[in-house]
Amino acid sequence: MNGWTGNLLRINLTTGTVKKETFSDEFAKKWVGGRGFALKILWDELKPGIDPLGPENKLIVALGPIAGVPAPNTGKTIVAAKSPLTGGYGDGNLGTRVTMELRKAGYDGLIIEGRSGSPVYLSIVDDRVEILPAGEIWGKGTYETNDWIYKKYGKAAGVLTIGQGGENKVLYAVIRSLEGRAGGRPGIGAVMGSKNLKAIVVKGSGEIPVADPAGMKTLGAGDLRKVGEIDKKTGWSIQGTNGVLSWLNEVAALPVGNMRKTSHPDAWKIDGQRLNAARIATYGCPNCTMRCGIAIHDHEGRESELDYENIGMLGSNLEIFDLDQVASLNYLCDEYGLDTISAGAVLGFYADAVARGDVKGDFKFGDAERAKELLRMTAYREGVGDFLAEGTMRMARKIGRNSIDYAIQVKGLECSAYNCKFVPGMALAFATSPIGAHHKESWVIMFEITQTSRDSYGPEKAQKVVDLQRIRGGIFEFIVSCRFPWIELGWDLQHYADYFNKITGLNWTLDDLYKVGDRIYSLMKLFWLREFPNWDRTMDYPPKVWFDPSNADKEGPIAGKILEWDKYQKLLDSYYQIRGWDKRGIPTKKTALELGLAKEAAEVEKIGRLE
Amino acid sequence: MKITVKVIGPFIYQTGFSEKEIEVKEPVTAGQLLSLINLPEDRPKIVTRNGKAVAPKEELQDGDRIAICPIYSGG
Repeated sequence: MNGWTGNLLRINLTTGTVKKETFSDEFAKKWVGGRGFALKILWDELKPGIDPLGPENKLIVALGPIAGVPAPNTGKTIVAAKSPLTGGYGDGNLGTRVTMELRKAGYDGLIIEGRSGSPVYLSIVDDRVEILPAGEIWGKGTYETNDWIYKKYGKAAGVLTIGQGGENKVLYAVIRSLEGRAGGRPGIGAVMGSKNLKAIVVKGSGEIPVADPAGMKTLGAGDLRKVGEIDKKTGWSIQGTNGVLSWLNEVAALPVGNMRKTSHPDAWKIDGQRLNAARIATYGCPNCTMRCGIAIHDHEGRESELDYENIGMLGSNLEIFDLDQVASLNYLCDEYGLDTISAGAVLGFYADAVARGDVKGDFKFGDAERAKELLRMTAYREGVGDFLAEGTMRMARKIGRNSIDYAIQVKGLECSAYNCKFVPGMALAFATSPIGAHHKESWVIMFEITQTSRDSYGPEKAQKVVDLQRIRGGIFEFIVSCRFPWIELGWDLQHYADYFNKITGLNWTLDDLYKVGDRIYSLMKLFWLREFPNWDRTMDYPPKVWFDPSNADKEGPIAGKILEWDKYQKLLDSYYQIRGWDKRGIPTKKTALELGLAKEAAEVEKIGRLE
Repeated sequence: MKITVKVIGPFIYQTGFSEKEIEVKEPVTAGQLLSLINLPEDRPKIVTRNGKAVAPKEELQDGDRIAICPIYSGG
C-alpha cells in the first residue's frame, strides 16, 4: 500500500501494553487519514455516553497520506477524542515534527487508551515504544517540558506536550508543539492529561511510503520553492494572519468586549504593522515556506509567538490594546497549554458577566495584569479559576438566568475571533462547524461582506459555507496538510489531488476527495447524534446575543443592524438541504447510504429514526 | 474634497503609508482613487467605503473613508 504505512500503534496506558496493528486498503480509501481515521476509530471504539475524561475515552493522533511528505506545508498532525468541552466529536490540527517522525517510524496514527496510574510520557523510536515515567516534568509548563525532552532526544525529535492546563483538565486545554503551535481546541489536551500522559516524543528513521518517490521529490521541492516565491511577492507573511485585524476593525466585525462591540479606535495598536515592527523571530511548521508565527517580546521580556486569533481574542476581545501585554497573555496560554481563543472568550464572558452584575468579581475589560493572574488560576483550577476552567457554556449554566445568551460559543466551543452579530453567513459557518464554533472549517466573512449583500440570507451564502467546509474541514483535514497556500496565496487545489495521486499511486479527482469529506461530515453529525439522542437544529444556532436588537451597534457601518432570527432559520434550512440533511440537521437515510454509511446509519436508527 | 485612505496588510509596504488624508478633485470614483495610489495592479483588492463594500464605479463623497485590503481567506 503506497501513501500509507498501513500501521497504527495502539497504546494502553492502564495495562502498559503496546500493539502494532494494520489497517486494510478499504479502510484507507474510505477514510483516507487524519480526521477521517480519527473519527472512524472513535465511532467504532467508543461507547456512547462515556466520560470524556475517563479511561474509556481514547486520544487519537492521526496522519494522512500527504502528511510529512516534502511538499508545501505538510507538517500538520491531527489530534482527536470525544471532547470534554462539547461532549461531541472533537479534534484539531497542529504543526509538529511528530508528523514526519511518526510516518518515518512506520505509523499513520496512534490510539492511546486507558489511564496510567502515574504521570508518564510515551517514547516512540521506530519500533521501540516505551511508556516512561514523567514525574520530573509533571507540573511543568510546555516550554520547560519541551526543553527536558530535547535534552534527552535532541531537537530534531517530534514532541507533543501538555501544560498544567491539560494536567488539571481545563476543558479547553490544548496539545502543544514547537515554539508556539497548539491544536485540539475542544479540550484534547485535557483528555491527554486525564490519561496522566504528559508528552509524546517520536523519532523515525525509515522512509514515508510514496508510490512515485522521484516524481514526488521533484514536484514537492519545486512547489515548496514556488509557494515561498508567491509569499515573498505578495508579502503575505510580513504581517501573517494579523493583517486581517485592521480590515475587521474597518468593517465592524472585530471581537471587542466579549464581542458586544465590533470595532475600537485603539485597534491599530495591535495590528499587523505593529506586530511586524516588534518582531524578534519568525517561526513556522515543518515543510513550510510561508511561516506565520511572528514572535515578539512580551511585557515580561519573554518570547511569545502570535497570530491573529491570539491577538483578536486576548487583545481586542478583552479591550487590551498593548501588544506586549497581549503577548504575555498568549505566552501564558502557551506555557499552560490553554487554547488562546477559548481563554480570550472565557475572560471576555467573565468581564461581561461582572459588568452586567450576573456574578461578583473584580475583573474588568482592559485589565491585563488581572487577566494574567486569572489565566494562572485557571490552569491550576485555583479559586475562581476552577469556574473559568469550565468554558463559557458551563459557566453560563452555573450563573443561570439568561447568562447563556452572552456566552459566545456554539455546542460549547467558543467562537474564534470574528464578531458575527451582523455577518449571517459567517455566523452560519460557526454554527455548523462540526466540532463547535471554529473558523478552521469555513471562513466566508470577507467574501460575504464584500462580494454579497451583507444583510442577505440567500442560499448562495449557505452554498459558500458548504463549499469551504468541503475543502478546509474536508480535504485538508484528512489528507492532512496546511490550508494556507491555497487560502492565502491562491495555490491551486488541484495541486493537492496531484500530490495525493503521486504519493498513493491512485488516480483520484477532486470530486473523489470531496466525497470523502462529505462522508466524514455526515459521520461527525451521527457521532453527535449518538451522544445527544435529542439532537435538533437548536444545536446549530449561533450565540443568542447576536440576535438581540439591544446589542446592535449604535454607530458605524452596521449601526442598528443585528442578525434576524426568522431569516437565519431559512439560511440554516438552505444549508441542510445542500448537505442532504433533514430539518433537524441530521443526515437523511438516503444521504447516509449514498456516502457509504449504511452500517453507521443502522446503529443510529437504534436510538432515533433517520428520515 | 478630502478622502481618508486606509491601507491594510502588506499593501502598506508598497504604498509607503498606512493611513492618510488626500485631497482629490471632484468627481472621483473608487476605481479612480486606486489609480492615484501606488498599488500593484495585478493584486486583487478589497475596497470598502465607510466600512461597507464599494463598487469601482461609485463616486466618492467628501469625508469618505476608503480602506484597501488584499484578499484574506482566514487563518
